[in-house]
Amino acid sequence: MELLSNLSFGFGVALTLQNLGACLVGALLGTAIGVLPGIGPVATISLLLPLTFGMSSTTAIIMLAGIYYGAQYGGSTTSILMNLPGEVSSVITALDGYQMARNGQAGPALAVAALGSFFAGSVATLLVAASGPLLTAVALSFGPADYFSLMFLGLIVSAVLTEGNVLKSIAMMVAGVGLGLVGTDVQTGQQRFTFGIPELSDGIGFAPMAMGMFGVAEIIRNLEMPEVRDALKTKITRLWLNVEEWKRVAGPVLRATALGSVVGILPGGGAALASMGAYTLERRISRNKHLFGKGAIEGVAAPESANNAAAQTSFIPLLTLGIPANAVMALMVGALIIQGIQPGPRMIEAQPELFWGLIASMWVGNLMLVVINLPLIGMWVRLLKVPYDLMYPAILVFCVIGVYSLNNNTFDVFVTVVFGFLGYLFSKIGCPPAPMLIGFVLGPMMEEHLRRAMLLSRGDPMVFVERPISASLLGLALLAVIAMALPSIRRGKDQALAS
Amino acid sequence: MRLKPDAQSIFAGLMFMAFAAVMLWLNTDHPIGTARRMGPGYMPMLAFWILGGLGVAILAGGLFSGPDPIGRFAWRDLGLILAAMVVFGLLVERLGFVVSISLCVVVASLAEKRVRPLRIAGLVAFLLALCWVLFIWYLDIRIPVFPWSR
Repeated sequence: MELLSNLSFGFGVALTLQNLGACLVGALLGTAIGVLPGIGPVATISLLLPLTFGMSSTTAIIMLAGIYYGAQYGGSTTSILMNLPGEVSSVITALDGYQMARNGQAGPALAVAALGSFFAGSVATLLVAASGPLLTAVALSFGPADYFSLMFLGLIVSAVLTEGNVLKSIAMMVAGVGLGLVGTDVQTGQQRFTFGIPELSDGIGFAPMAMGMFGVAEIIRNLEMPEVRDALKTKITRLWLNVEEWKRVAGPVLRATALGSVVGILPGGGAALASMGAYTLERRISRNKHLFGKGAIEGVAAPESANNAAAQTSFIPLLTLGIPANAVMALMVGALIIQGIQPGPRMIEAQPELFWGLIASMWVGNLMLVVINLPLIGMWVRLLKVPYDLMYPAILVFCVIGVYSLNNNTFDVFVTVVFGFLGYLFSKIGCPPAPMLIGFVLGPMMEEHLRRAMLLSRGDPMVFVERPISASLLGLALLAVIAMALPSIRRGKDQALAS
Repeated sequence: MRLKPDAQSIFAGLMFMAFAAVMLWLNTDHPIGTARRMGPGYMPMLAFWILGGLGVAILAGGLFSGPDPIGRFAWRDLGLILAAMVVFGLLVERLGFVVSISLCVVVASLAEKRVRPLRIAGLVAFLLALCWVLFIWYLDIRIPVFPWSR
């Protein structure tokens, strides 16, 4: 019953006018960027970091979270109507969603996407609420060695699960760890790799790096690709499901919710992987196998439910252990640290209004998103008519002003330029930027835990395999590497992630 | 195994190796300490040796995994977008918000294949208004507005 009282406390926080507003703004923005191809949640959240300075930490996180799960809703709209996925996690939805739209079933497809997402989001939110305090209790028994191994596992799994060459992902991550060490060493005060530049003594800015690699580089990549944007040809009728459709989607939605919730918790998991997994599962076990790819409603229900479930549960490692599971969560760490909050197992106790308020707001936000997405669908489709040549200068201007206003310092603008160039270069040589961002956030934390662990063990590295928690975490990391080295699994992953 | 060079991986491997080498060289300034009492140079030493090793592995793998050529760089788009940001960075504190944003938008818009001056002018006006409301009026960030308002 403690859960209930905590939840009602959370709703008390989430339903204040200010937080409701933040939630709505986040959900609206998330839907918008979900609809628009070429700008994703990572770029948007880093763009909006400066906007959150004046807010309380709870309000800030509520808004940023809304952007992330809002994007999962918005991404489905254009996948279904135009075969134009706005987000990676909606690529799979386009397979059957677009076919349904061509068969004149755009209405039910959109309805099942929104309702499935809502159901999955609600269940996953409850899961976050229930597991948060439990996991926190476990996390408090962790020693520095266990923490180090946990972060190591997180890094390895997220690198292994990223699209493309595993070695390159791991190298990007290690490079990120290295970049994270730039600045003043916390224990000795020594300046590392700062070249005497005062701005670097606090380390490389997190927002400039993220914005450069995900915002600016993305603009350049979009510019070089020819614009393909079809006007909406299908008419949307009957934005609801009939009895037969309800029956067909019930099973897929339930299974996808369960699968998505699990995948979301995994480091490196997250929405995109969840939607692929759920679709593959349904295609294998559904009674309507033969319809998949030709407009099966199950093929829309499953990925859309799964990606939203995963978007919610990927908050679990962040809120309980302070470890980001994916690039968006790495940004959340950045946002919390800017607010002066160190994410970790003590956060629920120290910041109850943040934890429970966020959970309650997720549910409220999901409810808002159903309303935002179903009756207002026409508005979002019209958003696609804004030509890119008007949109990218606007994004760029927001980027530079946002970065500048972080510290009122033009140095950050130039750091963004450098990472914009690097992000573009990385895309040309097949190096994914997301692991670098995660490594960058985890690098300093890993160093601290490594130092503490080695100090406690008097310099004996065996501490990492002698402690049972640490040893099992390292074992899991090893398993992940071995599993991915097996060609059959690697092929499966590449297929699933091919977008 | 036949030699099938993969330009992407070879370049990536060289890049990681070079970065690791430079950082390891810079790291010689920092005391390493011992495993028990790690100095500021210990973690960078670990990270960049691992990175260098990964670079070698990627390079070696890249000799056989090709062909995977590096795509053409859109130098014009790349240059103009980055230049637009540099223009903003150089001018914002000297000439203020209005001038620097206008120039930033104009330079960025040149990356479009068909340059339409009227359209760009309209966009500049719209963005100036929007940014003024959002950043100056609402967020109240400390940024000079005009060249003479310091």
